[in-house]
Amino acid sequence: MAVANNELEKVIIQSVLEELAKKGLLPSKGKDHVMSSAMQDTPLYSNTSSEEMVTFPPLDEMQISKPFNADAVKAMKKSTPARIGIGRAGARPKTMSWLRFLADHAVAQDAVFLDVSDEFLKQNNLMTVQSAVTSKDEFLTRPDLGRRLSEEAVKTITEKCEKNVQVQILVVDGLSSTAIEANIPDLLPALMQGLKSAGIKVGAPFFVKYGRVWVQDPIANLVKADVIVSLIGERPGLGTAESLSAYMIYQPNEKTVEADRTVVSNIHKGGIPPAEAGAHLSDVVQQILTAKASGVKFNQQK
Amino acid sequence: MPESNIQTIMSVGIDIGTTTTQLVISRLTIENTASGTFVPHVEITDKEVIHRSEIYITPLSDRDLIDAVAVSKIVETEYLVAGLTPENIDTGAVIITGETAKKENAKAIIDALAGYAGDFVVATAGANLEGIYAGKGSGAAAFSVQRHQVVANIDVGGGTSNYAMFHEGKAVETTCLNVGGHLIEFERQGDRITYISEPAKIALQSAGQRLEVGERITLPQLRPVVKAMAACVVEVLKTTKQSELTRALLMTPTLRLEHTIRKVMISGGVADYVYAPQGPVTMMEVTEFGDFGPLLGWELKLCLETAGFVLEKPNETVRATVIGTGTQSVNLSGSTIHLQEKTLPLRNVMVISPFSSTIPDTVQGIGKAIKNEMLRLQANQSEGSVALALKGPRTMTFVNINLLAQGVLLGMEEYLSQNKPLVLVIEADCGKVLGQCINANANRPLEMVCIDQLEVEDCDYIDIGKPLMGGRVVPVVLKTLVFNR
Repeated sequence: MAVANNELEKVIIQSVLEELAKKGLLPSKGKDHVMSSAMQDTPLYSNTSSEEMVTFPPLDEMQISKPFNADAVKAMKKSTPARIGIGRAGARPKTMSWLRFLADHAVAQDAVFLDVSDEFLKQNNLMTVQSAVTSKDEFLTRPDLGRRLSEEAVKTITEKCEKNVQVQILVVDGLSSTAIEANIPDLLPALMQGLKSAGIKVGAPFFVKYGRVWVQDPIANLVKADVIVSLIGERPGLGTAESLSAYMIYQPNEKTVEADRTVVSNIHKGGIPPAEAGAHLSDVVQQILTAKASGVKFNQQK
Repeated sequence: MPESNIQTIMSVGIDIGTTTTQLVISRLTIENTASGTFVPHVEITDKEVIHRSEIYITPLSDRDLIDAVAVSKIVETEYLVAGLTPENIDTGAVIITGETAKKENAKAIIDALAGYAGDFVVATAGANLEGIYAGKGSGAAAFSVQRHQVVANIDVGGGTSNYAMFHEGKAVETTCLNVGGHLIEFERQGDRITYISEPAKIALQSAGQRLEVGERITLPQLRPVVKAMAACVVEVLKTTKQSELTRALLMTPTLRLEHTIRKVMISGGVADYVYAPQGPVTMMEVTEFGDFGPLLGWELKLCLETAGFVLEKPNETVRATVIGTGTQSVNLSGSTIHLQEKTLPLRNVMVISPFSSTIPDTVQGIGKAIKNEMLRLQANQSEGSVALALKGPRTMTFVNINLLAQGVLLGMEEYLSQNKPLVLVIEADCGKVLGQCINANANRPLEMVCIDQLEVEDCDYIDIGKPLMGGRVVPVVLKTLVFNR
């Protein structure tokens, strides 16, 4: 009996393996080898060294096994990028949800730790200056230094930038280099076009490496611009790492505080689309110039 | 620049149907719902019906012709009761429905109401739009959002049954069947037939009944005919392969039934009898209003239940269409508005969709597609304005948006040379930047409205009203002028 069972098992395994091999799901090595590895219960597909990209199923795929009202789950999932309606395996998330979570976390970390590439800056014709920060670690641990310019930056800006402009635009990496690379190519030309059509004098935009929002204040005083627009990468979340904000300030001085800044946030393809944001910002800048104020003072005039 | 963040507007809805004419006045609250750090987004946040008219029997000067002067008297009286004058009314719509939806009626009514209906009220008709307004007024659209269930709303009136299926608040399918409670007329509370309409004759023939005007009829004689009509109404929800009778009574292509119907709502004059605890048992009860509406309602309920449909009670029954017309006909749209005050309102702007699937990737390609469509519709020869309806640029990049702007200017060259305003309606969220690109690329200042995030699919004409909220938005009314027959 035991022998007969063993024979039967072999036949079943063999036919299954042949079927898999036909579909290209097994490395096409000798049948004997495949058979024996199956018998030994070792992983058949041990390609752990492969760096091949894994593709996740689409986000709107139904992950709840027996939804009571699938339409409701779909509608709710559509309304938020949050991880809802993802089903569960016992008390734990399903493997795919967990992997997606890890992947999104990795994307967020990359956004913080990577630099905006030189190639990108060249393509977009952006001169680079650096804040008083000297390294990524220092940037993360010393926000105060990210708000000041390096001596070299002061020199470069003084020498190279046009002075007494109405508007100076800065591209600032902030906490997401990814956001810069994802949005600037569409946002910046739209903003420049809008300001140009309105006949506003704009200085050539440039890039501030390791910069924080407040770095716009010393720059405003160097270029003597009425309005500074900082396009800065937002702290990435698990929903998106591509979100960008625009901080605008009218003639900052030593008394300037956070409430004096006007902000438009959530600029990315899933929020305000970057090109549309550029056109909107151009309107806001024109209003700030007319109001001669930004932030709360600007809102109170509305 | 003072910008108010909240504003109210008065909207009137007038529904002129086969049997009844009604009016409601609603107060719509419009508000910028985006927080300060976002792009402003103005929408209607509250709809409050402040006046419901009596339900009038539609005044007719002969069987098919509406007495437009009498209708305008009704409107005048109701304004007086509500304590309003035409100057108080900002927007709204007159919908001419059912059997009365005929060209000559629409024209007469527009003329007669011109003085009473405020600055921006439009006449509209079309079976599909009627079904959608009824479903929005009955609460079916809202129900489909709240419960995430597909709801079929059937507005059963005097002459027609208008279907609209809602999925997440959006009307996904519509149709119209020539079945209503007023297709055979009787002496009030009596049993003598005074009129038999054409569709009723078809139904009678199919049921093998011979009835003539002047005859007296018993309930057992009438019931099979009404049952047959109710069965037709239900059959449309069940299958796309219907009986000969149903096909004969369908006035538009039938429902495709691409969604599973979870709930059915009935609105319209017949609806109250669908949700009544018991049906009429004597001819006197049936002909309470000189027709067979009560019996049709009851038979419809039985037929729906037998077929396994789950009935849900609507918020509004007989007033669904008029409430939908008054509160739902207006869309607000913002983005780029470069217009001189005197250009608005723009009425009967013909909607043209030059791109069937994808947008060409060159300026010349885009321009040519627009030119061809303008030529095909002879839009440059017509006097009115034209609205270009687009889904979006090829991609949302600035390069592609700018390309689209240049293509639009090229394609609309001849139209713009006649000094007509450029009207663009785009579904994607890029109305501001597209408007900006058009401005930057044009060689002179253009009169332009570029509105986004609005779908104008299946709509033939739009009206654009005077700007609200300090010029940030304009009211837009979508119209289909497909008159029955």
